[in-house]
Amino acid sequence: MTQKRISIGSGSAYSTDRLDWAQELADSGLVDYMGFDCLAERTMALAQVRRLDDETTGHDQRIPELMRRFAGFLGRGGKMVGSFGAANPAAAADDVLRGLKANGVVGVRVGVIHGDDVLDHVLDQDLELSEMGVSAQAIATRVVSANAYIGADPIVDLLGEGAQFILGGRIADPSLYVGPIAYEMGWALDDWDKMGTATLVAHLLECGTHATGGNYVDPPYRVLDDIAHLGFPLAHVSDDELIITKLEGTGGAVDIGTMKTQLAYEIHDPAAYLTPDSTADFSHVWVEEIGPDRVRVGGATGRPRPDKLKVLVGVDEGWKVVTEISYGGPGCVERAQLGAEVVAKRLEPFQSGIDEIRYDLHGMTALFEGQVPGGDPAEVRLRVAARCDDRETADAVVFEGQFLWMGPAGGGGVTTQMAPAIGVTPALLPREDVKLITEVIDA
Amino acid sequence: MKLREFAYSRSGDKGDIANLCVFVYDDDNWEVLRRELTVEKVREKFGGLVKGEITRYELPGTKGLNFVMAEALGGGVSRSLRTDPHGKSYQSLILDIDIDADDEIKPRLA
Repeated sequence: MTQKRISIGSGSAYSTDRLDWAQELADSGLVDYMGFDCLAERTMALAQVRRLDDETTGHDQRIPELMRRFAGFLGRGGKMVGSFGAANPAAAADDVLRGLKANGVVGVRVGVIHGDDVLDHVLDQDLELSEMGVSAQAIATRVVSANAYIGADPIVDLLGEGAQFILGGRIADPSLYVGPIAYEMGWALDDWDKMGTATLVAHLLECGTHATGGNYVDPPYRVLDDIAHLGFPLAHVSDDELIITKLEGTGGAVDIGTMKTQLAYEIHDPAAYLTPDSTADFSHVWVEEIGPDRVRVGGATGRPRPDKLKVLVGVDEGWKVVTEISYGGPGCVERAQLGAEVVAKRLEPFQSGIDEIRYDLHGMTALFEGQVPGGDPAEVRLRVAARCDDRETADAVVFEGQFLWMGPAGGGGVTTQMAPAIGVTPALLPREDVKLITEVIDA
Repeated sequence: MKLREFAYSRSGDKGDIANLCVFVYDDDNWEVLRRELTVEKVREKFGGLVKGEITRYELPGTKGLNFVMAEALGGGVSRSLRTDPHGKSYQSLILDIDIDADDEIKPRLA
């Protein structure tokens, strides 16, 4: 009997990640599956904004390019799983079907996961919005969306039904990989150590090129070759071993350093990494270099998955505005500070409509708020950022930011941004309240 | 000496919570890291940037620490007005912490 194994590559780590390098991996023949994480908390909020504006949108905007680039991979039987649906899985499915047709790909079974929209439950059960310190009903008029994290279960179901391209909305990042690994390896979804193991592999892949050196290089201490052309990571999984590597000829590295930093990325208690699929324990994970850009990992275990699913609740926060202006030369810091003071003074009549406003000096205080001495910079950039309840107040902040043209002296390079603000805040919903529906479409 | 001379780090974000992992280049420096990089030192470096609790976890398998900082991102990525709402730059700030262990670490760097 041949040993079960799966080779799975990372294709995307966020909503606008580049697809050209992912295509290189898909076309290499090294992988049977590609996973595509297309969302983050912020991008889920932006997707909701787009859908509120136009109900035919709110899904991943790269699908036409994706289908063009991955037509060959699908044509060779490759399988793809992604959170392309974002706020609108049905619209994403339409785009995928169009893309398959446009690129002459036939015989692909598309699996769609619906049902992560749990807005009614969040309001009916008046869920606690812990980070905002209120319950959902207290701000009901401002609650615009709620999406529960989807785990590996529906992905495994759809693969079992022969789906080759699977998409959903807020699929948890690791589940995009846990689903295919569990399906191909025959690992039961309630074998918690296996789920912890699959989650480890998933976690090392889900951030794409961050794991191969993207968010790592820091000269002179950490220097890697050819970071201008990073390779996406891939995993070879069998019952005997877990190998992480990347496409030969690409830049960056898969080594102990890049793997360790990815291992701990966005985890809190390493002994209890909560996902919809398990409570994974990474505290005794080990990483071993076994060749150039090739590591073996292991040591993950698991405990039962949480009874509650995390939900991202979208809250209308009015308008978010940012204006910036630069000052240079002697006295630039004093002039920028004076600029901030006059804007604050001029905005006093609008105070009631401003939820929060902050003034930062880029080059001095913007990132660390004075925790590191700013020195005596050659130039600084004053940034005024505000969250406003209404458009009129937002317009006033933009106006006053721009008006710094008129002094203090020497301010130049004004830029302004204004956008509707949808905050995303977490809540927890009993798992049984999330009724996912899977749909199969033969293209 | 600075933490950056013998350790590296990465930031992550979930809601208004930032996490910062720190690993040593040389496993022999793991005990120094455990002993010296206390919550108090991190609290002092980050000051008002972190308004909530800071919890330190250990990853003995990979010889790393993970600091979880509540109320550290101006309300979370989607709400935050910070220039860096993800706190990506925090990974550089933590490496700026002074560590008083030159006698132990410097010989190993040579």
